Amino acid sequence: MKLTTKELTVCALLTAMALGLSYLENLFPLSLAVPVPGVKLGLANIVAVFALYALGAGQAFLILFARCLLGSVFAGNMSAFIFSLFGGVSAMAVMTLLSHLRGLSVYGVSAGGAAAHNCGQIAAAMLTLGSTAPLYYLPVLLGVSLLTGGLTGLVCACLFRGLASTNFMKG
Amino acid sequence: MKPFPELRPAPWDLAVVAAVLTLALFCGVMVWGGAATGLTAIVTADGEEIDRFPLSAPAGERTYSAGGYTLTADVSPDGIQITASDCPTQDCIRTGRISRSGQSIVCLPARFILRLEGKTEINSSGVDAVIG
Repeated sequence: MKLTTKELTVCALLTAMALGLSYLENLFPLSLAVPVPGVKLGLANIVAVFALYALGAGQAFLILFARCLLGSVFAGNMSAFIFSLFGGVSAMAVMTLLSHLRGLSVYGVSAGGAAAHNCGQIAAAMLTLGSTAPLYYLPVLLGVSLLTGGLTGLVCACLFRGLASTNFMKG
Repeated sequence: MKPFPELRPAPWDLAVVAAVLTLALFCGVMVWGGAATGLTAIVTADGEEIDRFPLSAPAGERTYSAGGYTLTADVSPDGIQITASDCPTQDCIRTGRISRSGQSIVCLPARFILRLEGKTEINSSGVDAVIG
């Protein structure tokens, strides 16, 4: 994949933003309201949805890999890498697929991605623990993902509305 | 550059919501639906544990003596049932088969409790019916 200097810069900026958002969401511990491991706002998914539409699937995947790798390096925890990669790749794969379907809005794409993210993380947990016990959390996580996915969709819709008056999306 | 996505919720978004809810429901039934796998039966008499075995143990009958009474439990992978007891009221037999985590059969005169425990803790109070 060839990237222009502008595309590379935008990718780097979005990676930094995704990392910042992942850190920021620790300030809003959703797990206090829903006491299930893995419950979170998923703010970094805003960047994923945005990158998918604004830059395309290829660059969105690049940003995702960079975010997962750097995120686990900063957290000093490489087992977190498997979790975020499984979740992120599942979410991106599902969102890429859904974004090609007609009749789906950014809300549907984002909610589908959030649900897929949880499925991926549960799969990673099952692989690392070698047990099906994490599956018990999945129904709750899927329910919450509809809300957080809808929220991400709302933020993205606002973002795209705001950008409509600029020439960013036209490249 | 790709065109803008649809920014207002569209009817087909409901299909995504329905799909996710179906998956959640399916998973919920699978893991919380009381499948008898991974359950452990714990038998106590007069507050002391007298037996503990996984429900996946070989099916068959087990006999317990408690408080001067004798109870016979029929164990199979899909649950446990008291099939015979010489207690006065026979309610333990009428309790029928228990198969889910948290369910129990209690016989008060014999001070006998048979409890199922597992990862799927549905009713952690431990007592579903007090009989005897």
